[in-house]
Amino acid sequence: MTRHLSILLFALLALDLRGEEAQLNITLVHDGEPLEYAVASLTPLDFPVPTKSAAEAVIAQENKEYDPYVTVVMVGTEASFPNRDNVQHHLYSVSKPKRFEKPLYASGTSETVLFDQPGVVTLGCNIHDWMVAYVLVVPTPWFAKTGPDGLAMVKGMPPGRYELEIWHPRIRQPIKQEITLVSGPNSAEEMRLNLKRDRRIRRAPVGRSGGY
Amino acid sequence: MAGLFRIHRFRTRLLLIILGLLIAALSTSYLLVTRANRDNATSHIEESLNNAMRVFWFSVELRQERLAQSAQVVSADWPIRTLYLQPDFDRDTLRSTLYSYADRLQVPVVATFETDGEMLATTMRSLTDELCGPFRYLITRADEDGTDYATDFAYLKGDLHVLVVVPVYAPRPNIILWFAVAFPIDDTFATELKRSTQAEVTFISGIEATEQRVLGTTLPMLDAQSIADQTPSQKYMGMTAIHDESYVTRVTPLGLLGDDPARIVLQRSLTAELAPARELENDMRLISLAALMLATIAAIAIARGVSKPVQQLAAHTELVAQGDYETRLIPNRSDEFGQLAESFNRMSDGLAERDQVRDLLDKNVSPEIAAQLMRDGATLGGEEREVTILFADLRGFTSLSENLPPRELIELLNDYLERMSSEIERHGGVIDKFIGDAIMAVFGAPLKQEGDADHALQSALAMERALAKLNVELEAAGRPKLSIGIGINTARVIAGNIGSHRRLNYSVIGDGVNVAARLEALTRTPDYHTNILVSAATLKAAQGKYATLDLGRVTVKGRQEPVAIFSLENQSSQS
Repeated sequence: MTRHLSILLFALLALDLRGEEAQLNITLVHDGEPLEYAVASLTPLDFPVPTKSAAEAVIAQENKEYDPYVTVVMVGTEASFPNRDNVQHHLYSVSKPKRFEKPLYASGTSETVLFDQPGVVTLGCNIHDWMVAYVLVVPTPWFAKTGPDGLAMVKGMPPGRYELEIWHPRIRQPIKQEITLVSGPNSAEEMRLNLKRDRRIRRAPVGRSGGY
Repeated sequence: MAGLFRIHRFRTRLLLIILGLLIAALSTSYLLVTRANRDNATSHIEESLNNAMRVFWFSVELRQERLAQSAQVVSADWPIRTLYLQPDFDRDTLRSTLYSYADRLQVPVVATFETDGEMLATTMRSLTDELCGPFRYLITRADEDGTDYATDFAYLKGDLHVLVVVPVYAPRPNIILWFAVAFPIDDTFATELKRSTQAEVTFISGIEATEQRVLGTTLPMLDAQSIADQTPSQKYMGMTAIHDESYVTRVTPLGLLGDDPARIVLQRSLTAELAPARELENDMRLISLAALMLATIAAIAIARGVSKPVQQLAAHTELVAQGDYETRLIPNRSDEFGQLAESFNRMSDGLAERDQVRDLLDKNVSPEIAAQLMRDGATLGGEEREVTILFADLRGFTSLSENLPPRELIELLNDYLERMSSEIERHGGVIDKFIGDAIMAVFGAPLKQEGDADHALQSALAMERALAKLNVELEAAGRPKLSIGIGINTARVIAGNIGSHRRLNYSVIGDGVNVAARLEALTRTPDYHTNILVSAATLKAAQGKYATLDLGRVTVKGRQEPVAIFSLENQSSQS
């Protein structure tokens, strides 16, 4: 049950350093495989978070899946949910940071939702049980998702002390630790994580498996 | 003791032996068959109880899976999520929803739990949050194992249930609630199990003998309680009695979540299982009885077949023992008894022949000699002993033979010899031989008797009297009278079997014999006027008083020494 998550942090040379900015490159590996859909976010400890408005988030409903599977937004971000399928969807969330539903909205239309509380919002669809997506609402503009190679690159923050938070849809408790970043590439200590078993549904009707 | 029960009749003994063997064989095979039947039935029931146990597990698993699937379906139902979207959670409405689900799933107990295990709502009003430990245990298990459901046996308010918990996703894999259902293991469940297994089913809780509780059963409650009290709480396979019926009983403990253990007791009646075998056994008893009766009849017939000829033989033996050698067994059989009858007949022939020989012997020799011959055998040789010899001769026989036809002559002679012989034998004399009309008799051989000389003398006198009597008869018949001459002498002679190996006589020889013969011849001397002449030696040997007359001494032919002779007279005729 207990899974090991080895997090290997690599500090890579950034070829295009912009002035005094620091960069944190993290590769997350789980069971010897690169871990996708993990999120690393950095919250400054010594200065206030800039009220920089993040770019608009788009969570599409396409091929009866949410795309992307994991979305990270800063608090106060409004996300849009375009339905690109030719069937209706019924978007909902019962998660504490944002409880809402968008019942049965038709193809081609789009809904927007404002994420005003930090936390994890799990999105579902009342029509399609297998549809799931996560919106991680963080109080900072500095965050990054790991790709299929397990690498997350957080860029653009000034050097200094930060709280590094590692999150994943199957994590039991997000890992939080203090980290001090210097200009240029930074490395972090190795961490052990505890992931839950993958309970994701095998998509019932014929079709492709979820792209997560 | 043994003597008391000794059976004397062969027929009875044979009958008892045959019946005894048959009874032993039949009862042994009967016992073997009944035991085999019982063993078969028992192992058959044990097998069927093992199957029933598998059916039980299969049925439980099937229900668990079915319920888990159904619970998954209803847990994904819209109303739960919709209720959850509301800022204030409406437990009453949730409970109402659960009643609908209970109805859809056909289970009495439905409940929902928070992810932290707190009970939100249930259809079982008496089920408080404190009593939901087993549900919480299963929730933790399903959560940790990441399985789609968790299930187990547990007590809910003292009643045994099978619990199933499934997560409520919003969406999957995000668990917002736990959905739980429970179905009771009760009389209804037991009855359903019985329907598919034909076994009596009882569920029992408790370890201690005092707290055995029947949770559900197909038996009458009292019987079930008695089973609960007498069956062990661990795994068991054996016999249990309900009233007078034997049941093969299997006990299997059920794993439970904490609390008291429970066990399932499966039973099938051995008595009922044996019913067809009992019919067979009854048939077998009837067949055995018939076989016994037939065997009795056969044994009697055989015994009679054996004992009847044996009895005939015995009766015949009795006849033979009594001297009947004439009756013959009729050998009407070709078996051993026929052979025996033939042998027996041959034996009778042999006995008859022997008897004839003996008879002839008796007639040809005196009975004493015959007896001595039979006893000592006919061997040559002799012994010297003192005997008294008597010679008797019929006088005037020659002239008589001229006047009478031979047949009448022989008749007369035989009559005479018969009367004389009987007088001699009556006095203990032994007829040594007949020499024509003469008789030679010996007193004192082969058996020495006291007073042999007296016997000889008395015999002579009796012969004279007997002749007188014969003469009266002859006179009456118009025949001429007969007269006799008797000479008696006592001397030491040689007595024994004399002759060849092929033919021999018991006789006496010696000088004394000649003297007796001479004395007999001398009776013809007219001057003596006597019929009986006795030597002095005889008178000396005799002890009785006799009327005698000394006739002086005479010289006997062939003997140098003269012999003193006396005439012997009948006192009766003298007086």
